[in-house]
Amino acid sequence: MSDSTEQIRQEFLHDLDAARDLPQLEQVRITYLSRSGRIAVLFDGIRSASPADRPVLGKALNELRTFAQAHFDERKAALEAAAGSSEPAFDPTLPGRPRWVGSRHPVTQTLDEIKRIFVGMGFSVENGPEIESDYYNFGALNFPPDHPARDMQDTFFISKDILLRTHTSPVQIRVMEKQRPPIRAIMPGKAYRNEAVSARSLVQFHQVEGLYIDRHVTFSELKGTLVSFAHQFYGERLKYRFRPSFFPFTEPSAEMDISCYLCGGNGCRVCKYSGWLEILGAGMVHPHVLKNGGIDPEEYTGYAFGMGIERTALLRYGIDDIRMFYESDVRFLRQF
Amino acid sequence: MKVSHAWLKKFVDVRLKPAELSERLNMLGLEVESFEDQAATFDKFVVGEVLQRDKHPNADRLSVCSVNTGKETRTIVCGAPNVAAGQKVAVALVGATIPHDQHDADGKPFVLGRAKIRGVESDGMICSAHELGLGEDKDGILVLDPKLRPGTPLAKALGSTDVVYEIGITPNRADCLSHIGVAREIAALTERKLTIPPVRVMESSTAASRAATVRIRDRENCPRYCARVIRNVRIAPSPKWMQDQLTAVGIRPINNVVDITNYVLMETGHPLHAFDYDRLAGHTIEVRGAKEGEVFVTLDGKQRPLSAGMLMICDAERPIAVAGVMGGANSEIADTTTSVLLESAYFNPSGIRRTSKMLGLSTEASYRFERGADIEMARYAADLAAQLMHELAEGEVLKGIIDVYPKKRRPVEVKARVQRINDVIGTALTRAQIVRLLQRLGLTVRPGRGNDLHVRIPSYRNDLLEEIDLIEEVARLYGYNRIETRTKAAIDFSAGIRTDRLEDALKSHLVGTGFHEMLTLSLQQESLAQMSGTPGVKVLNPVSAEMTTLRPSLVPGAVEAVRFNQNHGSRDLRLFEIGRVFSPVKGKNPDTLEGFTEEERLLLLITGVSAPLGPGSGTRKADLLDLKGEVEALLGKFGLDKIRLIQYDTPESLTEPTVGVEINGTYAGFFGKVRKEIAATFDVGEPVFVCELKTDILGKNWNRERRFVGLPRFPSVTRDLAFTVDAAVLQGRVEEAIRGAGTSLLTALTLFDVYSGQQAGTGKKSLAYALEFRAADHTLTDAEADAVMQRIIEAVRRECGGTLRG
Repeated sequence: MSDSTEQIRQEFLHDLDAARDLPQLEQVRITYLSRSGRIAVLFDGIRSASPADRPVLGKALNELRTFAQAHFDERKAALEAAAGSSEPAFDPTLPGRPRWVGSRHPVTQTLDEIKRIFVGMGFSVENGPEIESDYYNFGALNFPPDHPARDMQDTFFISKDILLRTHTSPVQIRVMEKQRPPIRAIMPGKAYRNEAVSARSLVQFHQVEGLYIDRHVTFSELKGTLVSFAHQFYGERLKYRFRPSFFPFTEPSAEMDISCYLCGGNGCRVCKYSGWLEILGAGMVHPHVLKNGGIDPEEYTGYAFGMGIERTALLRYGIDDIRMFYESDVRFLRQF
Repeated sequence: MKVSHAWLKKFVDVRLKPAELSERLNMLGLEVESFEDQAATFDKFVVGEVLQRDKHPNADRLSVCSVNTGKETRTIVCGAPNVAAGQKVAVALVGATIPHDQHDADGKPFVLGRAKIRGVESDGMICSAHELGLGEDKDGILVLDPKLRPGTPLAKALGSTDVVYEIGITPNRADCLSHIGVAREIAALTERKLTIPPVRVMESSTAASRAATVRIRDRENCPRYCARVIRNVRIAPSPKWMQDQLTAVGIRPINNVVDITNYVLMETGHPLHAFDYDRLAGHTIEVRGAKEGEVFVTLDGKQRPLSAGMLMICDAERPIAVAGVMGGANSEIADTTTSVLLESAYFNPSGIRRTSKMLGLSTEASYRFERGADIEMARYAADLAAQLMHELAEGEVLKGIIDVYPKKRRPVEVKARVQRINDVIGTALTRAQIVRLLQRLGLTVRPGRGNDLHVRIPSYRNDLLEEIDLIEEVARLYGYNRIETRTKAAIDFSAGIRTDRLEDALKSHLVGTGFHEMLTLSLQQESLAQMSGTPGVKVLNPVSAEMTTLRPSLVPGAVEAVRFNQNHGSRDLRLFEIGRVFSPVKGKNPDTLEGFTEEERLLLLITGVSAPLGPGSGTRKADLLDLKGEVEALLGKFGLDKIRLIQYDTPESLTEPTVGVEINGTYAGFFGKVRKEIAATFDVGEPVFVCELKTDILGKNWNRERRFVGLPRFPSVTRDLAFTVDAAVLQGRVEEAIRGAGTSLLTALTLFDVYSGQQAGTGKKSLAYALEFRAADHTLTDAEADAVMQRIIEAVRRECGGTLRG
């Protein structure tokens, strides 16, 4: 019996020594130390031993178990330490596992920024259809029939009176029709013009229209709002100016220029060496337009403004060809 | 429009430098796009006198000249064969910009430097006409007038000292389409006097009224027609000064008579036409409508089909000009012409515009008439032109002017209120200030009741019709930039601030899950539009065959984007777009807005590998389940849980398989794999997976309310189960069986493996689920979990014939 104990002790030590890694060591544990292992089996043999031998045998087996467990633990700690140090060092120059990263279109990002600024100034965001009638696109906006002003916007026609809107201004009329003053809204959206495709012009583009109608709205306040916008969007330190212009649906009409932020106003290719960049058109809502929207021009005045988003985005990101916005080239899109 | 500085000075004392004048005109609403300073072009060019010509010591074809350039004598190497001592020549000094480089293929300008040519230093360059941009002659130097003094600036010697402005005139300012018009604005701007020199016509004793007759049949479209008759003209080139002035403003000189009409046009803005008097049947002018179907040859030699509604100038027998647009070949001024009938008329703007549009013909004349000419300028313009024909073409101007003007223009007066002007602009201008501003513009102001002003509008300002027009004039002349920039605005929040949150939320989610937003064109080829089976909306006047039809679906444009990207080496794509689609409405009038619908859609697209390439990423291609996962995540994000997915393949669908998405019982769109034939038309071989959803349905069902649900208080038990079922059994049926048997104790079910390889057995597949069990009110015991697991195993066996896999 004691031979058997000693034999197991020797075999255990041999196997323990032979275990080169943790899985092999686990096999040693199962063979000797588990609930049905060889040492446990020896304990089962106690019951069949003579009562006189039992204490001796029990003591010997307990010693064996303690001995085996201690050696096992020691060996395990050693192997674990070895396993730990054999794990290759972390290479910080390995690339992380890549993820798909998305992006908003640069036109959207520009539009988002403009929306954020005007919403912050109390403007709502309104929408209107892209297929419009001659009335909403021209007539109600004070473009007389057979008038050269219509040539300012080359139009795609769908039928005699139905067309693709050439600007977002028709939404002004739609908003006036459904809402009483005070009206304070911006109207972003697509517009279409029948122009030859080039790096500077594409048949479709986005605009943001702005409209504010209330009692005592003045040109002076129009300036204040737009200057605040320009400072928020283009930077606090820019210079600005307002030039008289002509739009049938506003009077007085203006165009707003800011000092070219690329050259600081010294003149460069982008500002055509003028030092100024035109950023938007604006004006006081023409009394005819208010009347067409069902608003009494004697009681209310208002201002309106509009700007092209692609143009703004071209400048903002230094893109030189407007067509890139619509090619869906991921090499382009992922830059934003 | 091109405007000459020298010409302007005829009418107003312009003291501003070109750059400053441009700036000031800009701020007045006349947009100076650019200006060309002729003198600046010839900066550092002078007249030189060749004192001596010697052969170059090291080159046969070159000569070394000593040239007197005024203050000093320079040594200049010259390659021209015609250079000779005694000549007056154009010398470019070091630092001058030579307009054309003769040795450059494109003839680009270059800056002259000091150069050693074959060992001899050349201090300047003697120029050819071509190098100066003055002509085509490259073979020899330009030899100047021998009377010129050496050292004279070349610009002065050539008479090229003018400045030419390119001004964009807005459509409302027809009065500015002339030198007098622009001069008038400058006069208002600088508070100087505008002087229009009076014309005294040297007339003969024969009365014009006996030589010609004018009849207006259409007084609506032709309210005034003036004619003068000039006899014994000698057709010849016009004098150099006139040719130079016309050339400067972009008009090609033709002969003295035609040049005079163009000159008067550019000066006064009033279009004139000169007919060959002897070719007019009956020496009669009749203004009448065209006959439908008549064909007329205009003086550009083109045959023009006429239609009723076009206004024609006719003689006793036939049309001789399209009124206000272009004259006819049958009566044009030729070298043999001896007598001229000069027309100076006023035509109704909308009539001219219609005619010009119908003929597709726009001219300097039609451009002005359709914007509105000055009816009171007709007579002055005719007199000026007649007098010039006397002076420059030896013409005999017959006595008197034929002036048919049946209904005189009534003076226009507009009322303006001082208070209202300030209310709109936001200023506090006094009445006197306002009156002064209006007077500077040439308007006459008469006091009215209270603070009202009665403003008399001159005939040339046909854009000033009501008070608001005068308000703009006051603001414009006062200066937009002097108006206070007020930043205190009243905001009314009572109506709330509405924004487009759905679109924003959709974009945020999709960008966060790794999709790039794209924008494609709404207008596309008809063949693309037809792919979806719904007709798109066609435009009548497409810009090209590639853009004829408004898209009825976002899918074809998206596949086109795949093609574009693949052609540029990008094969792994995750793209989305939010945009509108369009279709005609059956049975509704296509000439009304009811005839069409447009709605916003969201498109998702996946193609290429399922995960970006990286260590251990594998190269599994994305499949329809990748897309479905994205769709489910999106719908889940928006709290859209009442979803039904129905597979419904039809031959017309863009995808196969196609899975329809129903939200709360409403069709919301579909997803699927783009049909092979469709992908093939774009040369796309890779599988492309797309989803198109109606955003309004997403918006209507968007559950933005969030209620907190208490976290579980008792631990859960997790068990895995794998079943082998017939390959034809849908996973959904197995899941349904599990959920049914799991009762409320089953709190989560995750399918984590689908296997249909050999080990599953032929015609079989294996589905592995991780199940989570939990009781709401106590810690679940193993026995309870075992019992529910048994029920599940039993249910799957019974309902789906599934067997537990070991």
